[in-house]
Amino acid sequence: PAKRSEAPKRRGKVPDLPVFERRNWLIHMHYVRKEFDKCKVLIKEQLFETQYMCEYALYAQALILRQEGKIQESLDLFQQTVKINPFNADNLKQVARSLFLLARHKAALEVYNEAAKLSSKDWEIYHNQGVCYLYLKDFEKAKDCLKHAIQYHRHDASFLQLGKIYLMEGDIESAIDTYKKAIEFSPENPDLMTTLGLLYLQIGMTQRAFEYLGNAMTYDPSHVKAILGAGSMIQTHGDFDVALTKYRIAASKIPESPHMWNNIGMCFFGKKKYVAAISCLKRAAYMAPFEWIIIYNLGLIHLTMQQYASAFHFLSAAITLKPKHGQLFQLLAIALTHLDDHDNAKQAYEQAIMLDIDDPAISLNYAIFLYNMEDRKQASRHFAAYEKKMEVFRKTKGGDIEREILETGNRLGPALQVGEKLVWDAEAKTTRIP
Amino acid sequence: MAAAVQLPMQMDPLFLSLSFFRRRKHEECVDVCTKMLQKNPYDQSAWCLKTRALTEQVYVDEVDVDEEGIAEMLMDDNAVAQLPRPGTSLKKPGTGAGGGPTPGVRPMSQAGRPVSGFVRPGTQSGRPGTMEQAIRTPRTAQTARPVTSASGRYVRLGTASMLAQPDGPFINISKLNLSKYAQRPNLAKPLFEYIFHHENDVRNALELASRATEEAQFKDWWWKVQLAKCYYRLGMYRDSEKQLKSALRDTETVDTYLYLGKVYRRLDQPLTAIETYKKGLEKFSGETTLMTGIARIHEELYDMNNAVKLYKEVLHYDNTHVEAIACIATNHFYTDQPEIALRFYRRLLQMGVYNSELFNNLGLCCFYAQQYDMTLNCFERALALASDETMPDVWYNIGHVALGIGDMALAYQCFRLALASQNDHAEAYNNLGVLEMRKGHNDQARAFLQAAASLSSVMYEPHYNHALLSFKIGDLQSSYSSANKAMEGYPDHSDSQQLLKQLKEDFSAL
Repeated sequence: PAKRSEAPKRRGKVPDLPVFERRNWLIHMHYVRKEFDKCKVLIKEQLFETQYMCEYALYAQALILRQEGKIQESLDLFQQTVKINPFNADNLKQVARSLFLLARHKAALEVYNEAAKLSSKDWEIYHNQGVCYLYLKDFEKAKDCLKHAIQYHRHDASFLQLGKIYLMEGDIESAIDTYKKAIEFSPENPDLMTTLGLLYLQIGMTQRAFEYLGNAMTYDPSHVKAILGAGSMIQTHGDFDVALTKYRIAASKIPESPHMWNNIGMCFFGKKKYVAAISCLKRAAYMAPFEWIIIYNLGLIHLTMQQYASAFHFLSAAITLKPKHGQLFQLLAIALTHLDDHDNAKQAYEQAIMLDIDDPAISLNYAIFLYNMEDRKQASRHFAAYEKKMEVFRKTKGGDIEREILETGNRLGPALQVGEKLVWDAEAKTTRIP
Repeated sequence: MAAAVQLPMQMDPLFLSLSFFRRRKHEECVDVCTKMLQKNPYDQSAWCLKTRALTEQVYVDEVDVDEEGIAEMLMDDNAVAQLPRPGTSLKKPGTGAGGGPTPGVRPMSQAGRPVSGFVRPGTQSGRPGTMEQAIRTPRTAQTARPVTSASGRYVRLGTASMLAQPDGPFINISKLNLSKYAQRPNLAKPLFEYIFHHENDVRNALELASRATEEAQFKDWWWKVQLAKCYYRLGMYRDSEKQLKSALRDTETVDTYLYLGKVYRRLDQPLTAIETYKKGLEKFSGETTLMTGIARIHEELYDMNNAVKLYKEVLHYDNTHVEAIACIATNHFYTDQPEIALRFYRRLLQMGVYNSELFNNLGLCCFYAQQYDMTLNCFERALALASDETMPDVWYNIGHVALGIGDMALAYQCFRLALASQNDHAEAYNNLGVLEMRKGHNDQARAFLQAAASLSSVMYEPHYNHALLSFKIGDLQSSYSSANKAMEGYPDHSDSQQLLKQLKEDFSAL
């Protein structure tokens, strides 16, 4: 507020500074250099001289307190500045900001409204109001405010918050648009690029996603999020060694991240180093007992290792954590088949088909299971379902079909009439994106 | 003729009492000696034997009694260096230099040290900073037994010995003419042990010892070691060191080396202590107690790699060493090798160790090594054997197993039960908080996490969880202070670092 007095005009004699604001320039100088100790001493002197009437000293003191994490004290000081100068929008804005940091969002909104009366067309006020509305779960108003803020002054933070709202509403397309605009505005921000890349990954546009993640990594080679995202994409394409070298960079930064260990474990799984994979995944599960995907991967590996008891254990744990997932029930059914519990296996297959109507592999596995149980009629019914699903699958996804599934399907077809030895399969599961 | 009727075919009482003493039937020995002394008050052999029997009843090996009361931890200042280089002091050990597991993996004791595999009476898990802090923290947080203002065990031993004697003490020390006894080494040694171990009268023991060593022309190493013991008890560590070194010049014994190591530990010179032990090992190669001493010091300096190496060497010489087995097993468990840990714990079971803690550990190892058939059996056994102190931990671990199979309701009940048997179980509070957070009950979760944080200030988990919870609802001030506390408990925690960075950005943004 009182920064104007910084530059004294060199004309004639030295201007007569009002005593209250005499040393504001010095305080400001120390503050922007982050020399908080000196700044505090100066402020104390200044406040003593002026009997706590110096607006800028109070203001700077409050800012310092806020940076030290003492929000309540800073709020008190900002309120004093408002008392001294009630017509300064900055003071009001700071009071509101402090209220916001203390999670008193409604009160903050009110103060922002008052501040808006004093200075209109201020992007900060709109932006902060938007964030307050976001915390109060009023998404429509929040979006309005943030859009206003962007109109007045484009700023990274506004874009980020707007994108967050779209994501919370589940509208990925709009979120992507928002982030794209943000990147146009500030093209060297690795955080923005990573987020955008991960969003592209979510909607399946892998090429774009890779581009953005790669860009993010060129700006910040040790950006953990980008590394994990890119690593998981490389992994999906089967370049496990490349992915592992990427993870090695991340491992020194976040040695205890369950997601990273999960991905590393799946890399080893892809390289058919099952024991290493299990130890990585178990480390991940030790650090994050609530992540169903890690437990699911553990179950998958134990199925591959033909340790059905452990596989069943992990899969059932994953099901309790994530009950509505068709693949889980399918794998559980496979485990149960090998544990000689055919009734439960059957039930699990039924559940899997109910929960996942698109995946042809489930129907195929069920058909094989029924065929082995010598229930040819039901088996051919599910085989027909498999073929139908396969058709649909082929149309939507194109060539992305696992060859193993096709081969098994082609073998089962004639087997249902003739009878042939069979093998089950479980398709490799790609890993998650953090 | 009359005498023959009174004692028909009686064995010679002195021989009988000696035999009792050899077979460690100390009470019977004392009884027979008392009768003999009633008959003949000047029977020195009976007197000597009774003294020894009484001492043996309460004897505790002095090497392993290493207890520090609050006063010794805070008030006395024997360490030479106030700000030692990391890795050269027991008070400020280097952080994870030896490649031990981080606090993210291995749980911390309440005083901020990784939990050990084996609890000894001398186990100090960290020190309190101030007197106030020492009084506020739970009584068993620093040592294996409740802390008292001065070394408590000695006081209790002294009073216990009084109780054992309904008709007053056996020897009235204040009436003894110590210089007379000092001239007769065969009487002086048992008398000294009696005064030191039974009566806990260190001053008189010291006087007797100094007179006796004078009589022996300073040539008897035994008296020197006893003098050192007295000095050690009185807190005069440098004098103690002098006596022990002089004793070592006369005769080298394992005991003396162990005492010297103990003195250096108390002086906070772990490297000198290790050197002492190593010198001892040169003389007595393959002595397990000396190796264990070195391993303990490495463990206290967080140098797990070296500690485990030495414990393995101990096992090479003595494959039933409980402490070594337990420590190696714990280390394996926390470095992602529960199968190997399981083998070590099973070895303990084969050796006949049968207690709640072991079964608890076995259950955990079985679960994490995926031996599901044995897991619950072990925990049932552990519960059956559990005392009030171990019960909460067993329930807490069963809660973890329940989390592992995804059964949140069971886990909730288990953590509740852990709290029911010990209402200041910080870990259980923390986990309950997390479970409540998952259910979306933010207020409940906050209450649990705050309880956990106030109970154990060094555990980083409740602080971090609280910071995260506050951050989610937008209360950035609480989040900031909690995240800072989490960083105190575990400075390398990457998630806390990230959260703090985010918070600082929010604070400095206008």
